[in-house]
Amino acid sequence: MDRPIKTLQDKNSYLDLHRQERVTLLEVLDRALDKGVVISGDIVISVADVDLIYLGLKVLLSSVETMERLRGAPMAGAQEEPT
Amino acid sequence: MKIYAYGIIDSHNSLKEPIAGLEGKGIYNVSYRDIGITVSELNEETKEITDTYILEHERIVERLMEDFTVLPMRFLTIFNTKEDILSMAELYYEDFKDNLARLHNKVEFGMKVIWPADTIKQRIIDVYHKTKHNVSISTESPAKTFVKEKFQEHIIEKEFQEEANRCIAVVDDYFNKIACEKKLKRLQTENLLLNASYLVDKQRQNDFKQAFEQLKNTPGDLKFLFSGSWPCYNFVTLTKKVASFDYFNTEDMLNRLLAQQGFAKERNAV
Repeated sequence: MDRPIKTLQDKNSYLDLHRQERVTLLEVLDRALDKGVVISGDIVISVADVDLIYLGLKVLLSSVETMERLRGAPMAGAQEEPT
Repeated sequence: MKIYAYGIIDSHNSLKEPIAGLEGKGIYNVSYRDIGITVSELNEETKEITDTYILEHERIVERLMEDFTVLPMRFLTIFNTKEDILSMAELYYEDFKDNLARLHNKVEFGMKVIWPADTIKQRIIDVYHKTKHNVSISTESPAKTFVKEKFQEHIIEKEFQEEANRCIAVVDDYFNKIACEKKLKRLQTENLLLNASYLVDKQRQNDFKQAFEQLKNTPGDLKFLFSGSWPCYNFVTLTKKVASFDYFNTEDMLNRLLAQQGFAKERNAV
């Protein structure tokens, strides 16, 4: 990646870079996994060994809210700004 | 070699500048009538697709948006042959044209609104207990107490839902006059009050951001996650239905895989 796609900035510097990327990834997942142009199956295939696709993502497939809870950190002040 | 598709664009011409796709393969445009399907080749040996791929997919779609109106393909839309792509384009051509016209010069913004559901409920309960509806448990029969308790739960839940609607209406009102279209998902979890997507004309992006600035500076219990601009994933609408049974259902597959790994509850709680 030549840049973070969209860094959700926190005015309290609450989100470190790694977390910002994860939040970004969550937002991308929220859109690109099952929205957009979704076409019929005759011409859509899965890549072999699909499990591997999600192994790298499983931790990220929760809402920001759940992620915060799992990390034991509150959402306080985590207001993001448009980028 | 498989063919990975990124998006439908409003041009049948070749790309003016080379754009690197997944695995560094060059992106090219497969033309059908006056539209195109932007694709790159994907190595059949590719098995380990990671989160990097989805971010790359997004980056590429955004790059295409700089030059074209783009209908983003869902992540991992892969074709066997160019003929398959052309068949798809023929089948969905009218849909694609309608969407390309509707989404021309538009972008999507996302906003999640989180509220403290427990606190809100407690407030409702406190108010309820100060009213004549209060349940007096001590002297009533168990059956009557049970009914009253259920009634109380119903009233509290109803008020909770109404409070949610009131808050959503206030939030949404900030963007109503700016957005062209919107998709509002309310209370996907108790704390996720609103998961909204707004379709905004590119020329009005700053108006939209300013509206958000105003909203976020409003005192209150709500917290906001704002993101954008995005490709218009949430606003592509195809009238032709998915018919095939071997349709690659990402959501089902995802839930199944997560269940296998003990993540089902976490995802379902989203």
